[in-house]
Amino acid sequence: MNHNEIKKWIRLSLYSELNNEEQSLLELHLKDCDECRNELEQQRNLLSLISDKKNIVDDKLLMEARAQLRGAIRNERQHKGYFDNVVQYLNDLITIPFRAVLSGAALLVIGFFVGYIFYGSSIIDPNILPDKTNNQFSVFQDDVTISNINFIDSDPSDGEVEFTFIAMKPVYLKGRVDDPKIQSILTYSMLNEQNPGTRFNSINAMYSERTIKLDKDVKDALITVVMTDENPGVRREAIKLLKKAPYDEGVKQAFIYVLTTDTSSGLRIEAINAFVDADKKGFTLNKNEIDLFKQKLQTDDNSYIRYRTKTILQEYN
Amino acid sequence: MPLSDSELITQATSGNDSAFEELIFRYDRSVLAIALKFVHNTDDAKDIYQEVFIRVHKGLKNFEMKSEFSTWLYRIATNVCLSHKSRSKKHLYVSIDERYENEDGESVNVEPVDDEMDPGELMANIDLGDIIKDAVDSLSSKQRMTFILKHYEGYKIREIADMLNCKEGTVKKYLFDAIRNLQKKLKPLHQTA
Repeated sequence: MNHNEIKKWIRLSLYSELNNEEQSLLELHLKDCDECRNELEQQRNLLSLISDKKNIVDDKLLMEARAQLRGAIRNERQHKGYFDNVVQYLNDLITIPFRAVLSGAALLVIGFFVGYIFYGSSIIDPNILPDKTNNQFSVFQDDVTISNINFIDSDPSDGEVEFTFIAMKPVYLKGRVDDPKIQSILTYSMLNEQNPGTRFNSINAMYSERTIKLDKDVKDALITVVMTDENPGVRREAIKLLKKAPYDEGVKQAFIYVLTTDTSSGLRIEAINAFVDADKKGFTLNKNEIDLFKQKLQTDDNSYIRYRTKTILQEYN
Repeated sequence: MPLSDSELITQATSGNDSAFEELIFRYDRSVLAIALKFVHNTDDAKDIYQEVFIRVHKGLKNFEMKSEFSTWLYRIATNVCLSHKSRSKKHLYVSIDERYENEDGESVNVEPVDDEMDPGELMANIDLGDIIKDAVDSLSSKQRMTFILKHYEGYKIREIADMLNCKEGTVKKYLFDAIRNLQKKLKPLHQTA
């Protein structure tokens, strides 16, 4: 066996990847070969040098990563879930199902086009669809916006065309803040609206003394906003409302996330106050959380937060 | 008695979020450690961590349990690491004096250890961690990943081959090349060790 092969075996040997027979052969060779013994020594030194620099993932980083992952998963799920809910809700609200409107509208347009071909410009006024019930939805009303027209058949040579489009209509809604449908719309808005003012107002609209209960979806959405919204005002509003939700592991992790990572001391104060409230209600911290609080006591630049942290930790001494 | 991975997978795919968390929390520290070793940057490591577990979350319902969950997970993790584009690379400035291209054709900025420098002086004046980090960073992506999985995480070559979806011989080659390159770059240091 040549020296190059032995060098490879030396590397494998240092990682315990040789079988017994190979290990014996290597040791036999090393007894008589100064060059390979030297190589073994060098490689051992190298690996020992690098091993001294092992990084261990600290708990704070791991908790941050976990919190961000929870937010990302929740965001993804809710983005889809709320969209479905809103579509379902609008479908409930409008007596003519949306799909029927689309197909009806397409048929009407085809009819007008055929009429135009055969009878010149004498088009019938198409303002109202046949259904005369309340909440009727006519695509020809002034407040309806039509967009995204996609032709399935744009060739009029046979007298027909076929297409789909999106018809949007402003919807007026008034209801109790506890109504799950109201909360569903507002939750969709707090997660998806581009304008931070609208997101803020959507959360604020749910913050009321009469808000007796927040359902799980709203609570999960608030946690997502607390951890991911880029606007501190929106995050603060979400924290205030989240305090009204039942205190559980998800809520606790959100407050820990804010306390350990948020750059706004005002928000960290909101978070530490939430812990003080929870503490009064008898909720306890586990060992990792106590360690985090101890770290916070040493490192936070805000004296109020350090003071509150100390107050909480005193109970665990 | 704790549930097995496959039991947790069954529960997680039925919509039990706690089961999903219990499952991934068995491995996530190790995934984060690999990512951190690979990119040396906490923001990038957290990006990788999130990408890995989002993929796991989406793909779990299609996981057929033909292999160990951990093998599947680490295969995803290594793929995400290898394809990860660092946030900092968007603003990478490469010195024209020290530009170095590794075996994957990736441009890296590495200042090799000066062979002429007295090892004692070298040890006294440099941050050893930075030198080692730069040396490991200068390896090609696959050499670096193989080295991290073997040296820092202690996986067997057979397991690494499963994760990287290649033959054991290929893993050995990456590992030998990685060690040889590190030996060259860190020669003045490990001779003093």
